[in-house]
Amino acid sequence: MDQREYKLIFTGSMGAGKTTAIAAVSEVAPLCTDVQNTDHSEFAKATTTTGLDYGEVTLPGGQVLRLFGTPGQTRFRFMWDILGKGALGVVVLVDNSRPDPVRDACDYVQAFSNVIAGTRAVIGVGRCDAYPTPTLEEYDDALKAIGVNVPVISADVRQREHVLTLVDILFYQIEAAETVSSGAVA
Amino acid sequence: MTVHEQCLSRSEEAVINHHLDALMQQEQEICGAVVSTVDGFHVAARLTGSLSAEKLSAMASSLLAINEAVCRESSMGECRDLVVEASQGRILLMDVPHPAQKLILTVLCRAKTTMGKALWSARSCRESLGRVFSRT
Repeated sequence: MDQREYKLIFTGSMGAGKTTAIAAVSEVAPLCTDVQNTDHSEFAKATTTTGLDYGEVTLPGGQVLRLFGTPGQTRFRFMWDILGKGALGVVVLVDNSRPDPVRDACDYVQAFSNVIAGTRAVIGVGRCDAYPTPTLEEYDDALKAIGVNVPVISADVRQREHVLTLVDILFYQIEAAETVSSGAVA
Repeated sequence: MTVHEQCLSRSEEAVINHHLDALMQQEQEICGAVVSTVDGFHVAARLTGSLSAEKLSAMASSLLAINEAVCRESSMGECRDLVVEASQGRILLMDVPHPAQKLILTVLCRAKTTMGKALWSARSCRESLGRVFSRT
């Protein structure tokens, strides 16, 4: 049984569901650092994360996944750099109701490009039922255009199973990347 | 209209600016001060050089949010002040009570600052602001 610990990042725009996603799957009481949101022009919700979210999940194989959520707004970019250190992969959450969600996905993928290294990510697109466009294919095309080849799936992060699916996919992305890199070394 | 203009009245902003001026004059070893919203937007600042009030406001928000989480996790009660000791000075962070939305006061002090004096001045500023806001 692999007892290794994996540090994973949940990032994405404000209101995309990072705090909700981690709370949905964490086996420990999730740490959240939400404060009152005063910027209702950006997103009309009561609170926003300004520090970090934290939770843990154990996979059936015994691997412990440590989940770190970032603040979404670019003014907290310094926290992205701090939290990204030592991370093995990134879940990027996108809200399809936003004005340019494909651009959001590409922006966050590029912000964490040193962790993602082309493949160590998965994109979870929310609110696809109410906002069917852009399509997942459009995300795929835009990401490939910037040299990133990662799975893009529709996800409702309020559903524990959906979040676990994202985490599972990311875990296999990481394993595949490590197999490739160890093969290259050998 | 900026975010904080939507949340604070002009008179409240004037009061904050007046308090920051008074704080800087009262304690010569205080070399900078910023008031920001709890979610990291700059409201008023007295800074020198290239220091960014916007960046410091965002960082103050993160630090206090994490500080509060640490206090909760440690069952140590309500978070009060955060003191950052650096090689060339100290940084004090504390929340400022407001009936509608909590604010954050960040105070930058030079290395030779007497900690007690700086802390007393910053807390006095915070409490005075809180009293004014409670009347408006």
